[in-house]
Amino acid sequence: MSGVLQTAALLCTVGGLISAALALAATRRPLAALRVLLDLLLAAGLLRLTGDPDLRALTTLAAVVLLRQLVSAGLRQDHRIAAGTEP
Amino acid sequence: MITAADWQEEVLSEQSLRSWVDLLVRLVEAAGALIIFFGAGLAFARFVSLTARRRREHEFTAVRLGLGRYLVLGLEFQLASDLLKTAVSPSYEDIGQLAAVAAIRTALNYFLGKEIAAERQELDAEEQADSGRGDPERAVP
Repeated sequence: MSGVLQTAALLCTVGGLISAALALAATRRPLAALRVLLDLLLAAGLLRLTGDPDLRALTTLAAVVLLRQLVSAGLRQDHRIAAGTEP
Repeated sequence: MITAADWQEEVLSEQSLRSWVDLLVRLVEAAGALIIFFGAGLAFARFVSLTARRRREHEFTAVRLGLGRYLVLGLEFQLASDLLKTAVSPSYEDIGQLAAVAAIRTALNYFLGKEIAAERQELDAEEQADSGRGDPERAVP
């Protein structure tokens, strides 16, 4: 099963890179494209965590989750400033 | 003739219980992985379709919300398999590794749930603002 999962995770990673490039082309906003990329990288990380994961898979996924939180917090702050609700 | 003791020995022995739980763990994990992969594939197809139609950012966010729901559902299955594994974990090392994986999955589930709720609010606010402005893209069928 691990070979199939590795291939599925690789497909998700490639899909994430393509989707991020498409999102960047469509919206012209790099952070929106980064959000798309991180979502699909998260899916890839979760697929790698299926079965018997090693420490590297665990730390990679933890890093992606941390990065997602940072980007989301940054975008939300950006959105609030743009909407004029931030003092 | 099979006695109760034989039945207990053959069907409820530790070895057979372990193999049954292993099978269940693999099935539940496979279901979780399938859900995550299906969600990712669907999101990718929608991203391509949105780009082809030159849609705006909040529509990408809506697709991401859908993907987030698939990820949360897949994670629930993976957490279920972690719980099943605790039934037959033989060593402290296995239990420690299981605890780390379960902790990451639980934290991820919590943060994903919070993120989905926050983005849903953001999306609703943007949609309300668009309808208030009389969004020209929405006026065209």
